[in-house]
Amino acid sequence: MTVASRLILSLAIATVAISYLLFSAPEREIPTHARFIKVTNDMQFLSVWQGPWHCVYDKKLNLLWEVKRDDESIHDGYWSYSWYDGQFGHADQGDCYFEASHCDSQDLIRKTNQASLCGSAEWRLPTPDELRSLIQTPNSPGKPHIASDFFPHIKNGDYWSSEAGVSLPKSFKREKLGATAVNFQSAETLSLPYENAAFVMLVATPSTPLSLAQSRVEPVTLN
Amino acid sequence: MRRSSFAIFHVMAVIVILVGLLTGPRLGIINHDFLTFLSPLLPQGALLSVHVLFGCLLTLIAIVFTVATIRTPFHGAPSKFDKAVNYFGYLVIVLSIVTGWLLWLNPESLSLVIHGLSATAIFLYLVLHGIKHTVFKGKQVLSVLLPRNALILLSCSIALVYFCGLGIKLIVAEQHLRLEVAPLSRQSHLEIDGKGDEPEWLRAKPIKLTTFGGANFLDGSSEVEIKALSNHDETFFLIRWQDPSESLEHLPLEKTSDGWQVQENGFYRFDERTYYEDKFAIMLSTTCELGGDGTVQYGDAPLAGKPHNWHGKGYHASTDGRTRDLWHWKALRTNDMYLADDNFFGPPQSVALGQRRYTAGYQPDGKESGAYVMNWRWYSPNEVTPKRMPIPSPDITERKVLDWFASETYNPQQDMAKIGEQLPSVLYRSNRFEGDRADVRARGEWHDGYWTLELVRKHQTHSPLDVELRSGVCMWVSAFDHAQIAHTRHHRAIQLRYML
Ligand code: HEM
Ligand code: HEM
Repeated sequence: MTVASRLILSLAIATVAISYLLFSAPEREIPTHARFIKVTNDMQFLSVWQGPWHCVYDKKLNLLWEVKRDDESIHDGYWSYSWYDGQFGHADQGDCYFEASHCDSQDLIRKTNQASLCGSAEWRLPTPDELRSLIQTPNSPGKPHIASDFFPHIKNGDYWSSEAGVSLPKSFKREKLGATAVNFQSAETLSLPYENAAFVMLVATPSTPLSLAQSRVEPVTLN
Repeated sequence: MRRSSFAIFHVMAVIVILVGLLTGPRLGIINHDFLTFLSPLLPQGALLSVHVLFGCLLTLIAIVFTVATIRTPFHGAPSKFDKAVNYFGYLVIVLSIVTGWLLWLNPESLSLVIHGLSATAIFLYLVLHGIKHTVFKGKQVLSVLLPRNALILLSCSIALVYFCGLGIKLIVAEQHLRLEVAPLSRQSHLEIDGKGDEPEWLRAKPIKLTTFGGANFLDGSSEVEIKALSNHDETFFLIRWQDPSESLEHLPLEKTSDGWQVQENGFYRFDERTYYEDKFAIMLSTTCELGGDGTVQYGDAPLAGKPHNWHGKGYHASTDGRTRDLWHWKALRTNDMYLADDNFFGPPQSVALGQRRYTAGYQPDGKESGAYVMNWRWYSPNEVTPKRMPIPSPDITERKVLDWFASETYNPQQDMAKIGEQLPSVLYRSNRFEGDRADVRARGEWHDGYWTLELVRKHQTHSPLDVELRSGVCMWVSAFDHAQIAHTRHHRAIQLRYML
């Protein structure tokens, strides 16, 4: 090789290296979750980093979950409810601001159905199995046992299931029967008296197959 | 010196310098965004110790080469140009060695600048020297680059690595700054008020160090003075550091013609450097290794199988399975709670796909109830909806945090704010952390270009996420001048020695 050709070769190698550096900007792919999809109130699917979202579509169980919020609406995660289905249970023993009297689970169900949250008017309490299926190890100490990135504002506390008429442990002296709840701090299932104030996270079976719904093309926001 | 001996020095120097040139710019990306374009070429991970090991090898090679040259010089360079280029090379290598060690020993912004410039000069030298010889000599350069006697090369390399390992163990890993923790009688009462004016503090011997490489400050560095006192139960720290401005804003909201907007300059990449409050962090560990005790993972994706970060700089995470204790005092969010946020650096956490920021090993100790939340429903760089507004609102610009009970739910119909008006983005739900996260009491006050911060914690909290305070424990400090992550640093650990 002559000096000139070696020079050209060196320049060529340098050019390739520099173009590689300039054009290999990292592509940041937005991941997808194997089980959960964020859904807006008007039934748009969002990507994992978009928001705000109001429900989560659970691909595994074909369910829509109510998503708790921090906005003092009826879906605020701080409100608590006694267990009541309109007939059984104990009405108005929970803490919330949206009812003149105190709150029970039926109040949240009624209001959520009236508003057709995420297109559904069939909101209900989840079964113990449905609720338990959400349990997962938190990725930070002290956080609840749930995917907090999809289900924010879930407290380290008890969440009512639909299962009622279960016998209570002896430690409850006055009451014999109550309903099943799942505690997301301890990841345990327990029975509590109906009058207990616990949290509620509703669930609905989607009326239209949501997998057919169009995902929103424009990102709403990235967080 | 014979050509074969020179060839051995030469090849070892080439390898060591190449590693320096690959690892150094990776460290440099922390401070220089313009270097990120090199990122695809550079290695990632806990690279500071690698860089210092190779820096140490270079130092040894340079010393041995100088001694050998003084005894019997090597006459290699035929032309004046070659000679000039080589002298330039020697000069900048020596400069990088001197400033490199200064960065460890007694860092200053100037050393960092000169170290960075000398690295650039070494790169230029390599191009001039290497390309020139390759272009003109072709295959012949290989005879210099590849020494004939591989056995001698191997033994020299092993000896070098051995001596450097030993050197680092004896010098870098042992020569810590010592902080004497003076005894405090049971009767003495120290108020955690950010003043540090009790006479007991006069008995504590201060240490001073320069921390460098942060955003803002004066040239990015801040002089820190630390004192410590302890009784049988607790250790008190009094820390004073330079910060030209008292910054108490945290991403405030501003009303614009498009609605409420978050004031930011980098927050979208989680590297806010303007609209942020001042902060201070203390890390504690039972080991005292380089690179923030091995918790600094440099690069945009330094942890295998974990997400990229958004700023391309790095993560904090341990790779030895242990946790390092981290106290994170925040001038706006925690100061009025008289607390520092009790956090930790642990092994990289599992990935939550729905969260855009992954923080690897940096996490808060558990907390029961959220003390403060952001005053927006959902963050967007374009527009946000506040959660709450102050009641009533004549002087909202004065407030830096919004109290739950001094505010009401935001209602767009009743939003009378004028364009340009600001609203705090930190909303206190309760005024304390609870549980493990509230172990460190702290209070800071800013006065005349200095923050004074007092902190106290029990020696033993029995939390697996805290480090017990006792002799031998190492400590590092970082100051933040209205910056989210771009904090100052120092590389020599501070070791606690209790006098009690
Ligand atoms: C081949 C020689 C060397 C090269 C090319 C080199 C390159 C670099 C570069 C580019 C940086 C980043 C500078 C910046 O942020 O502006 C750096 C940082 C550093 N270098 Fe070197 N270096 C060399 C030798 C050394 C030596 C001999 C030491 C001695 C121990 C050393 C210790 C350090 C330290 C401690 C830092 C980190 C400072 C920080 O935290 O930012 N380097 N080096
Ligand atoms: C060589 C030394 C160090 C370097 C290069 C470094 C670099 C970094 C980088 C790149 C981040 C951003 C990580 C992320 O986005 O998750 C960060 C965050 C942080 N660093 Fe360091 N660090 C060093 C040492 C330390 C030490 C010794 C402390 C404690 C005294 C510390 C305290 C922190 C804290 C508290 C944060 C999190 C800030 C926040 O997001 O709120 N760092 N550091």
